[in-house]
Amino acid sequence: MTSRTLVCTGCGCLCDDIQVETDGANLGKIENACAKGAAYLQDTFNPERRNKSSIRGQSCSSEAAVEEAARLLSKAKHRLIFGLDNSTLETQALAIELARKLGAVIDDASSFSYGPLVESIIKKELPTCSLSEVKDKADLLLYWGANPTATHPRHLSKYTYYAYADFNPAGWYPKVTLSTIDVRQTELTAMAKPAFKIKPRGDRELIAGILAESPTPTDQAKQLSELIRKSRFCAVFCGLGLVHSLGGDFTGFTRMVRMLSQSIRVAVIPMIAETNMLGFSQSLHDKSGYVNSVSFANSVSHGREFSFPEQVHHQAADCILVVGSDPFSALPQSLMSRLQGVDILCLDHFSTLTTEAADVVLPTAVPGVESGGNVVRLDGDKTALAEPIKDGYPTQEAILRQLLETVRP
Amino acid sequence: MTSQQVGIVLTIVAHEDVHLSIVKQKGDWGDAYQKKAAVVRLSRADLEKLALKDGAKVEMSTAAGSVVVTARSDATGEPGVGFMPSSLHTNRLKSYDPGSAISPGKHIEARVMPAEKGITLVAGLIVRRNRA
Repeated sequence: MTSRTLVCTGCGCLCDDIQVETDGANLGKIENACAKGAAYLQDTFNPERRNKSSIRGQSCSSEAAVEEAARLLSKAKHRLIFGLDNSTLETQALAIELARKLGAVIDDASSFSYGPLVESIIKKELPTCSLSEVKDKADLLLYWGANPTATHPRHLSKYTYYAYADFNPAGWYPKVTLSTIDVRQTELTAMAKPAFKIKPRGDRELIAGILAESPTPTDQAKQLSELIRKSRFCAVFCGLGLVHSLGGDFTGFTRMVRMLSQSIRVAVIPMIAETNMLGFSQSLHDKSGYVNSVSFANSVSHGREFSFPEQVHHQAADCILVVGSDPFSALPQSLMSRLQGVDILCLDHFSTLTTEAADVVLPTAVPGVESGGNVVRLDGDKTALAEPIKDGYPTQEAILRQLLETVRP
Repeated sequence: MTSQQVGIVLTIVAHEDVHLSIVKQKGDWGDAYQKKAAVVRLSRADLEKLALKDGAKVEMSTAAGSVVVTARSDATGEPGVGFMPSSLHTNRLKSYDPGSAISPGKHIEARVMPAEKGITLVAGLIVRRNRA
């Protein structure tokens, strides 16, 4: 076995220091990966977790699966392409091209998660910075509705709190303030000084208090405001707790950040769990002017009605191509039950509830292990994946290129 | 009617759980998933209202559906709020709100009451499709 260095595509951290021993078919020792990353890498080498080409549950050749996918996409009247948040920029570009050729709707999970926040960052309405700028420079790390110990296990050790060079030798506390805003006690809030515990959906009130727009600002709002104002550089890591509490409306949050930015530096970084959601948002924005929920049916249209959940709820699509995503395990059952009678085609490397439900399954290579390409980390840093260390599966890119060549609009 | 008979309405917050993520990554939809997913953490005050002890079974119901899970005591929990890992169990409870900016969210308003039924099995929560 030889030792190779990988970029882990198991989450949005994209840790680039993963050492693995492999002979191309078997996996030996894994170093530096978190438990989540290690499970992801182990599954890559586990044939039982990998998909096989199939059409309506029957095994078939990969050529037959691609042919059937092309046939179903060609005969459909309303096509929807969904997912792509764990795909490379190259794959995303081909999917957008396929959507344009087919006059299809294209969307990703940002339409029901980080979309509004990511859009504000892409449009430069909110300031951001790279994780390398945070380390050793930010003197206040504020995790807001985010718990990286559950979502990004190495976030603190590789990029923030524990990555700081300077520390207080008495207890080895890094010389940076770690604070949290959360609705529950977590492993992270236990480390935070101070930890702000708020009520569910209490974020808006807290923001209003900092903006001095609340007639009776809470003590928490006063303390948080003081904590931020006495820092020089505050990095705010926004999690889904904040996104959902604000219902996707970042107007007040943006005003708060702008107000604070008049006296200190504030940088906002979304705690995206997917490998390349930011890349998809940026790519689609470059091509259409919108970060998600786009229809290419009549030139370019955008709106909530083109989001994946709305398309499913209204049974608007008769054929859905899912790329590297598992909506059957992530979305309400009452919603996903509405997909009876719809042709579902799924490109994925691992077996999921969505591949189990799909009419056509197209197995693909695992980005970062079996295929290369580029991805964008949650802080906007473009990252090149390492050269593949294993083969045996076609890339998502190769399959989308075949579909692009064979489908009829 | 007592709280034990009619239950109490709580805000349930769904959250990520790294252990459940790993079980899901491994494609294990059996006992390991069930143990991690079918759990709600309730404040001591709410457990007392329901006359339940740590480890008791509760039925949680919303307009979308219901599940039976294990109730665990959360020493730091506030009355009126419960916490569950995001899973197929929370997916059963969530409704989709058409037209809203971000839906489905992380907050679920659910009626919680003591249960005698068995814990809801994962197999019953998987959406099956009729393929032609």
